[in-house]
Amino acid sequence: MSASDDIRRWSDELARNPASMVFLPLGEALRTRGQAGVALRVAMRGLERHPYDADAHDLLARIYVDRGEIEKALDEWDAAIRCTPEHAGALKGMGFVCFNQGRLADAERYLSEAAAATPEDEGLAIALRRVREELAPAPAPAPDPIVEKAASPTEIVANVAEGDTASDPRQLFADLIGVADQAALLLDEDGLVLAGQYVVAGGHDVGAEVGAALSGISDEARRAMRHLPLGDWRTIIFETQAATVVMAPAPRDGLALVAAAPEVPSGLVRRALESVSQRAKRWMERLS
Amino acid sequence: MSASSPFIPSLEHLTRQRGVLGSLIVSETDGIVIDAVVQATVKSPVVAALAASLYRRARQSAQAAGLGGVKYLELVADGGRLCMAGRDDLVVVLVTDTRVGVGLLRVELLRTAAELPE
Repeated sequence: MSASDDIRRWSDELARNPASMVFLPLGEALRTRGQAGVALRVAMRGLERHPYDADAHDLLARIYVDRGEIEKALDEWDAAIRCTPEHAGALKGMGFVCFNQGRLADAERYLSEAAAATPEDEGLAIALRRVREELAPAPAPAPDPIVEKAASPTEIVANVAEGDTASDPRQLFADLIGVADQAALLLDEDGLVLAGQYVVAGGHDVGAEVGAALSGISDEARRAMRHLPLGDWRTIIFETQAATVVMAPAPRDGLALVAAAPEVPSGLVRRALESVSQRAKRWMERLS
Repeated sequence: MSASSPFIPSLEHLTRQRGVLGSLIVSETDGIVIDAVVQATVKSPVVAALAASLYRRARQSAQAAGLGGVKYLELVADGGRLCMAGRDDLVVVLVTDTRVGVGLLRVELLRTAAELPE
């Protein structure tokens, strides 16, 4: 049975019985098809009838994330946790958002509780490990001649505060990207990695391979834009079986890209790219 | 364009959406127009060739990067968007201005691509 058939069947069921819990799979199916507006109406009507159902609050929260309404999402996940304190979806969502906001201690707490509730969730375990790595005190970095010569102590503190670790460009975007299966890269005009990393399962960094392969897309986009009356290209988004990838031009004909697992809401991936692009620009300005 | 083409109703539906300047079905391999419903300002052969080339490059790059097949591609520019979804050698392409509601359009585009013959 296709997703459209399911949606029709659940819609019919809900029309027959407005108190039915099928609003949960119906709302989720509409959300994953990108129909966030319809999904929102379905979820809110469901919540009116089931105000103490944690899954309903969780559904509404994920719809809000898709719409970029993060504060509302946090409110709904908070409500879900008050209804069911061990609700894994809400704990995971709260952890994810906290990480994106740089609230690492909060992220660690929520993700720990989520992992305890769903020990079989491998993605969650990876995310938690990564948050804990970031929370652990880092070893003193090797002296960086560029920073020592060019930056005042105040500037160095500012750099560290924003995660701009000039001594290890691979970590430049570490605090900007999400917790699970996300990667960010800054490539030069030849597709070589300048900063960031793309770590896959097993801990191997495939940034060089991915960067070299994907940089060709921007060349093709530039070529296309010369012949189409659409102006300069700003963003390319493509969805594959394994990832959602968003890329944007970077200074000096470079390319900034963020990749995330397909289940990460595309709105969050796009937001992550904005942050990555801004930091890449500042970082390259400092290098020049 | 053939009046009896089975693709025309779908393309007409897509082109009626707000902000859509034209919709086309193109061959990814050679970039030719299979069918198109476009406004007069849209040069179908040019769009088809460029969109097919971009989609093909994205598909090849994604596969080389180990990301699997491309399901959806969107190029956002200052003056509009190119949105694409493919099935085998056929790619559905939309040219839009900046007023488009991209969430709904993405769903419609994926649905149209899924209905293309294998």
